[in-house]
Amino acid sequence: MEVSIYRYDPDDGRPPRMQTLRIEPAREDRMLLDLLQRVKREDPSLSFRRSCREGVCGSDAMNIDGRNGLACMTPLRSLGARVVLRPLPGLPVIRDLIVDMTAFFRQYHSIRPWLVNDTRPPERERLQSPAERERLDGVYECILCACCSTQCPSFWWNPDKFVGPAGLLQASRFIHDSRDDATEARLDDLDDAYRLFRCRTIMNCTEVCPKGLAPSREIEKIRLAMLRRAV
Amino acid sequence: MKRALTGLRAWLLQRLSALVMLAYLVAALLRLAADPPQGHAQWQALMHAPAVALATGLAFGALLLHAWVGARDVLMDYVKPLPLRIGLMTLLVLLLGGSGITVLRALL
Repeated sequence: MEVSIYRYDPDDGRPPRMQTLRIEPAREDRMLLDLLQRVKREDPSLSFRRSCREGVCGSDAMNIDGRNGLACMTPLRSLGARVVLRPLPGLPVIRDLIVDMTAFFRQYHSIRPWLVNDTRPPERERLQSPAERERLDGVYECILCACCSTQCPSFWWNPDKFVGPAGLLQASRFIHDSRDDATEARLDDLDDAYRLFRCRTIMNCTEVCPKGLAPSREIEKIRLAMLRRAV
Repeated sequence: MKRALTGLRAWLLQRLSALVMLAYLVAALLRLAADPPQGHAQWQALMHAPAVALATGLAFGALLLHAWVGARDVLMDYVKPLPLRIGLMTLLVLLLGGSGITVLRALL
């Protein structure tokens, strides 16, 4: 198998380059991450993030053959004889496949990803009906791997102003949470030229989400919530 | 001024103006298919009929607003230096405004 990997080390003064390796997966190598671990055993200078190795932590998001995904959830048998691995597009590269996710998390924090409810909490917990809880399905599962936002051209052009699909998915999660009291303020916060409405419904986000979520549908739900409020 | 034509309003305006243009296009095609005008005089009579002139004016108004929102979005995405962006937006306003005046003069 031929693996072409983006290599960049800020300390060696060389420009970024693609390094091509020939490596045969062993029988126990089932996912792309297994193969990367094998490469790293041979060349410890190769840098990439990984942690849970089962699609929960979102650390090993990278661009695999032009499409963002998680290395730990990409079966080797789904790849061709030649694989091209690059860091997530649109974010500054720190080293090899590791990107600086500050811009991504700044947008995530900007939507206030926590419940806002100033009423006195009940003795045990704020309860929801099964129907209210069901509205959070397809949203709470997001692992913040950034595959969606970094595949979104609108986020590439305006990472400092456009919240991006991951942040907007989370915004929708709190806007539609029955326990949250800040719906109006949350909608106000998104109603400008950039934060929500830079979304051009390209839908790369939904196409690449490794958890099968649909940020574009949630973005539409926010627009409709704004519309309902306005008319 | 901040929300003059941004956010939800701009988004809604673009969709509503698209619907107006679509309705005009379908109605115009049906009308022309049913009874195609023969020669310049018939074209003039058709376009100066009050209902047709009003509908055409509305459709062109929708087109200009649609173009403004869309082209402004493109400039906001791709043109980062503020003076250049403002210059191009001014050109766009002149172009769209000029087109609007030309259409109005033709209809009235």
